[in-house]
Amino acid sequence: MAILTHLDLDKLIACPTCDLLHSVEPPQTDRVAKCSRCHTHLISPKPETYDRTIALSVSTVILMCAALAFPFLGMSRAGLSSEASILGLAATISDGWYHLLAIFLVLFVVGIPILRTALLMYTIAPLRYGKEPYLYSKRAFSWAETLIPWSMTEIFILGTVVALVKIGGMAKIQFGVSFWLFCILVAVIAFQNASVCRWTIWQAIRKSPS
Amino acid sequence: MKTARELGYVGCYNCGTVHLPTDTTCRTCGAGLVSRKDNSLQAVWAWLLTGLIFYIPANIYPLLVNRVLGAEAGHTIIEGIIIFFEKGDYFVAIVIAIASLVIPVAKFFVIGFLALSIHFNWNLNAHMRLVLYEIVEFIGRWSMIDVFVVALMAGLIQLGSLVSVLPGAGSICFALSVIFTMLSAQAIDTKSIWDTAPKDHANV
Repeated sequence: MAILTHLDLDKLIACPTCDLLHSVEPPQTDRVAKCSRCHTHLISPKPETYDRTIALSVSTVILMCAALAFPFLGMSRAGLSSEASILGLAATISDGWYHLLAIFLVLFVVGIPILRTALLMYTIAPLRYGKEPYLYSKRAFSWAETLIPWSMTEIFILGTVVALVKIGGMAKIQFGVSFWLFCILVAVIAFQNASVCRWTIWQAIRKSPS
Repeated sequence: MKTARELGYVGCYNCGTVHLPTDTTCRTCGAGLVSRKDNSLQAVWAWLLTGLIFYIPANIYPLLVNRVLGAEAGHTIIEGIIIFFEKGDYFVAIVIAIASLVIPVAKFFVIGFLALSIHFNWNLNAHMRLVLYEIVEFIGRWSMIDVFVVALMAGLIQLGSLVSVLPGAGSICFALSVIFTMLSAQAIDTKSIWDTAPKDHANV
């Protein structure tokens, strides 16, 4: 077999899940090129991917800031009442070893979603305006992808519902503004994830002079 | 159809770009290049064992402690399930049993099974194993729901000296167990699953 150069190899893609080789044929926008063996999505171009990702990232930041500023849940029982924001909840349980629990809560529900959004914007903003990618763009986008499973906003919202069922008759619960903002945030983050095609972004980062 | 390895190339784990065996970093995404993650099984077993070790105290110590008028009472995951069963709340009991008991235990077994199947080159259906892997990856993070429930209840129910709920030691162990199990699942090298696959699957 002839020795192939990098230029020839760029016409191929190896499935990251099962290593099967395919020739690169980017499908039409909104269609998906899957691995023929394991059905991993290899290439899935999205319409207006840069604009959408940036818009949804800005929304994420605004919603998160607002969700942190307002009370999340309030409860009352026998004339006593309490109200707590997300950070307030974390502060309440912070005591001794339970600092760890508060750190997990803030990290998975607030910190990592925001960090991921920041990394995505850092990577995609220069591409959107046709500039060359910023320093360490490759590392930033890799991290943004790695952090996906550690961003747990949707799990937190379902946890809230379960907690309410468990508290049940013990006390009266009021939803705070922050709870509803967080529900919207979960949807926005889902759309944000769906607006990124890894392959498209990697090719764009790579083709720009850097 | 052939894999990159069968043709003597190296496919990037991160972005799929194909490289010559002499390349060391990916020219597209900058990640380090290996044909297979040779030590991945050690990482899988190490994380899995750590997750298992933390799962033991997670079941011995209470998840939540209720403090009513100064008196503290806590119950573990299993005690909580039994309480709901005795109350006749079968639905709640079953939901808690599945989320906090069946899924975490099943995860340990599935990850262990996948690691063994890779180690001993078991001649099993690769599709079935990949689906198992995807289920574990998908479900793993949802176990954190218990931890968030504990944090929410403990943070919310603070009514002075009358009633308060505190997190129990079990909740931290449970959270750590979930995190280590997630890391264990992520360490599995899926390309190895397909290397041991029967040939007829590779020629689809």
